[in-house]
Amino acid sequence: MSCGNHHDVPCVEVLALMWVYIDGEIDDGHRVEVTVHLQECPPCAEHFTAEQIVQARIRRCCTEAATPEDVRARIVSQIQASLHSN
Amino acid sequence: MTIETKDEMAARFERDVMPFLDSLYGAALRMTRNPADAEDLVQETTLKAFSAFDSFTEGTNLRAWLFRILTNSYINQYRKKQRQPFQTSADELTDGELNEVGEHLGLRSAEAEALDHLADAEIVDALAALPDDFRMAVYLADVEGFAYKEIAEIMDTPVGTVMSRLSRGRKLLRELLREYAAERGFVAQEVGS
Repeated sequence: MSCGNHHDVPCVEVLALMWVYIDGEIDDGHRVEVTVHLQECPPCAEHFTAEQIVQARIRRCCTEAATPEDVRARIVSQIQASLHSN
Repeated sequence: MTIETKDEMAARFERDVMPFLDSLYGAALRMTRNPADAEDLVQETTLKAFSAFDSFTEGTNLRAWLFRILTNSYINQYRKKQRQPFQTSADELTDGELNEVGEHLGLRSAEAEALDHLADAEIVDALAALPDDFRMAVYLADVEGFAYKEIAEIMDTPVGTVMSRLSRGRKLLRELLREYAAERGFVAQEVGS
């Protein structure tokens, strides 16, 4: 996968760095290289954006979860009970 | 330094730990994949955390500490109980595989749009279908937003292993989402293949 244009850093290297870049785990030097590449390479920029859209969707769908009230109450009372057990 | 009484420690526990309860329950639900086990797991986690709370150093990463207890409890108890065959993840990625990830993982925006038509429940199902180690790594990174180093501590594994689990887990998750989208007829046009 390549846009066919010349880049200082080739598309395949940029794509290999995609997740460390998106996750904010990339070092400063590489981050600048990837940012520059994305500005001049629409196909790579499209891939990065598409992955981030999917990632955001996964986060939204898998986050919601309220602890049932009875579970919360049971936990609080067990902690209280363990306080007075010895 | 004054010594904390048990009541004071309990008060500190309620103040500092209980705000994470929903987040722990959410993670427990994604790990165990059913509410009854999630309730037991989150209960076990908070009680273990409480009995070990005097060993927790205030000012260090409480959220990661709690998730580590949750993850350990899950691995030790529920994974066995669910009688699933042990899911190996063949953790190490070769350079060839890493390149392959770079080559084929990339989604096009039309495809991201097709995946966006899937129902929330289908996204949850796809995550649930991942092998344990992949599911936990993806959940901790993509949903909870933990850093690689924190996930390494939580899962008690080297950072390189976390990265390979994430890479493979995300790839597999997108393959599943593509399959669901295809089954539902939301197929994006493949470009140039």
